[in-house]
Amino acid sequence: MRAAFLLFAAAAIAGAQNASTRGADLFNQTCASGYCHGARGVGGGAPRLAARGFTDEYIAQTVRRGVPSTAMPAFAGQLPPADLAAIIGYVASLNGIAPSGRNPMPGAAPERSLAPDAAQGRQLFFDSVRGFGRCATCHEVEGQGMPIASPISRVPANPAELRQLTTPHVQTVGSGGDTYPALVLSKGSKQVKLYDLTSPPPVLRTLAPGAVTVKEGSNWSHANVLTAYNDSELGSILVFLRAVVRQ
Amino acid sequence: MRTLVFLVAAVAACAQDGATRADWNYHGGTQFAWRYSALDQINRTNVKSLAPAWAFQTGDYEMGLQSTPIVSGGVLYLSTSRSQVFALDAATGRLIWQYKYPLPRGAVPYGPQNRGVALGGGYVFIGTYDNNLVAIDQKTGQEVWRVTMDDARQCGCTITAAPLVAKDKVIIGGAGGDSAHRGYLTAVDIKSGRVAWRFYTIPGPGEKGHETWKGDSWKFGGGATWMTGSFDPALNLVYWGVGNAAADNDAGPRFSGEGEGANLYTASVLALDVDTGKLKWYHQEVPKDVWDFDSSYECLLIDREVRGKMRKLLVHINKGGYAFVLDRATGEYLDGYPIVDNHTWTSGLTEDGKFVGVVEPVAGKSTLICPSPLGGKSWNEVAYSPRTGFMYTPTAEICSNETVVPQEAHEGRSFTSGTWEMVKAPNGANGSHIDAYDPVTGKRQWSYPYKYLLLASLLATGGDLLFTGDPEGFFFALDARTGTKLWSFQTGSGHRGSPVTYTVNGRQYIATPTGWGSIAARMTTALWPETDTFRGGSTLMVFALPEGGK
Repeated sequence: MRAAFLLFAAAAIAGAQNASTRGADLFNQTCASGYCHGARGVGGGAPRLAARGFTDEYIAQTVRRGVPSTAMPAFAGQLPPADLAAIIGYVASLNGIAPSGRNPMPGAAPERSLAPDAAQGRQLFFDSVRGFGRCATCHEVEGQGMPIASPISRVPANPAELRQLTTPHVQTVGSGGDTYPALVLSKGSKQVKLYDLTSPPPVLRTLAPGAVTVKEGSNWSHANVLTAYNDSELGSILVFLRAVVRQ
Repeated sequence: MRTLVFLVAAVAACAQDGATRADWNYHGGTQFAWRYSALDQINRTNVKSLAPAWAFQTGDYEMGLQSTPIVSGGVLYLSTSRSQVFALDAATGRLIWQYKYPLPRGAVPYGPQNRGVALGGGYVFIGTYDNNLVAIDQKTGQEVWRVTMDDARQCGCTITAAPLVAKDKVIIGGAGGDSAHRGYLTAVDIKSGRVAWRFYTIPGPGEKGHETWKGDSWKFGGGATWMTGSFDPALNLVYWGVGNAAADNDAGPRFSGEGEGANLYTASVLALDVDTGKLKWYHQEVPKDVWDFDSSYECLLIDREVRGKMRKLLVHINKGGYAFVLDRATGEYLDGYPIVDNHTWTSGLTEDGKFVGVVEPVAGKSTLICPSPLGGKSWNEVAYSPRTGFMYTPTAEICSNETVVPQEAHEGRSFTSGTWEMVKAPNGANGSHIDAYDPVTGKRQWSYPYKYLLLASLLATGGDLLFTGDPEGFFFALDARTGTKLWSFQTGSGHRGSPVTYTVNGRQYIATPTGWGSIAARMTTALWPETDTFRGGSTLMVFALPEGGK
């Protein structure tokens, strides 16, 4: 019995050690760069993590949610929950806290998986290799991309329809001796705010009301800016949008 | 007679003038980046009487005050962390306007620090911590246009550097070369805010240099343009330093071994046509860069005699602790020399400027490498005085134990593939020194040692003074000829910005940002634990000689 208990204890200790080795490995890969927290949470460009008197709850919260307006990102959703737990446990150990075994991600939504063609479309939508020609230069989907256009509410049936798509909100604006297609955001008594859509990326302008003329309609259509994709790629992007946009 | 007049005019037109006078119009003083003012009202004789004239507290001290003020027509423009801009009466510190940039959503890669604004066409330009370039009306402080360079939630990038105005364009770089990110330099039309050109520092498929990258590694290969470049109007060329390759420490997945150079155009200096953004020449300083030795720093443009011939030069220092002397018309390598005492990563440069005997970090065990990834010089900038003919450098003598930890590239996430443990240099106890160099030969003229790291830029003046500040809070003046300390003042917080000088109504002022902080400042707390207690801050301190006592 006693032997069995010892065996069990040894296994538990080995398990804990494995977990902490895994936490250290993940920490080294994810958090220990010199620009971030440094090896063993010391001497990096970001705040020191070792011996700070943190609580495990604080560590878990910060790792999951990040710290807004600083360099600390939210890791929830970036790493699998088990990896997050291992990292949180490692940072806790740097602060002299034994692992609690608590689930660091209570109530976390399971990761949504996309079908392969939709996943391919997602990659294309945000593809940074396409520079300013990518969809995300003007569209925000799933919390990423620039929210310049209104949220996508209707997905065209096919690439040809997408190319012909004119946005009803685009108008023709004159200012400073220049005429250009624009999305007018607001027209107040003191200022007019609009996006100049001449070429991607759009330019957000703030103008005095007297300095602007606005005419209905424009010659703008998606065909002008969809130069970075071929039809097959656009097809994948539409599959992606159908999977994630509520229509 | 007519011929003589013409000749005199021609000589005057040829003489290069990189000095500022009443105004400090550009990040580096002028577009040549000398950080030198011809003003001499404050000089070696009277500097002991220098006293505070006014101070301005910005109220935003996250990551310290890392800015370079810009001064024009008696108005001083100052940026702070979180992309805020203040316009101040340069004689009194009175607030004229404040531009408040909205809070971005989510985290900000590398932090919210900002290193300065640019002026041009009646606008003040700032690159923001969520990758926007903004034009602000110089008179009213109202936003005129704003254009997004990249999505901070995707790219792992941010803008910390000051923009550079050249002709009708404002040129802006970006930070992000230690993330899985592909760097670029972007030129925007001053008037319209529309992008005129973008030069990717990593060539895409079909472009020359692309062959130096293995597989898809070019997509996230670093090459950030995270400081401010220079411009030579006569050659119509913009010069910009390009940062390290990513992943920083692990070249295995990215180095193809094909073509000339390695992982182009990372760790290189670029010369681009300002009108088109076309590459005129490049010089890669650290091929394959596995040390995070960034070549992103300032490009000093000086005309000097080299081996009996007047040359248009570009002098450039990288984090590896070496200075390169190039012909800025052609990119030809002319000379190179170390500016650090500790440089174990290489046994030196060949005649044609190639590093030999390099020591690379490996996986599984740590390797001592000097200088550290913090750099033989951090980003704080050099100064050059045409009176002494010396280039003044702030040098960091720090090493690090580096271990390769392979990582997979995930766009926008940290991608260094290595860990570093900063350690003191085995050779010598001091953390840093300011040196005066003959910029062409690399002969050291004098040296001013300092215990910790000197992380503020240098300012040289026609009064033969050299100004900078230290982490303990002292702002001080050295004799530019000898390095002797002539004056100092305790400002209450350490220095991580760039001092400037200007006049209003004939009175000379010296303005310096104060406020300890920054990534480098935190990195060194492991070496000198007492520096962990150095207080942050964010105050512009302005000094002048007592009125009537000029």
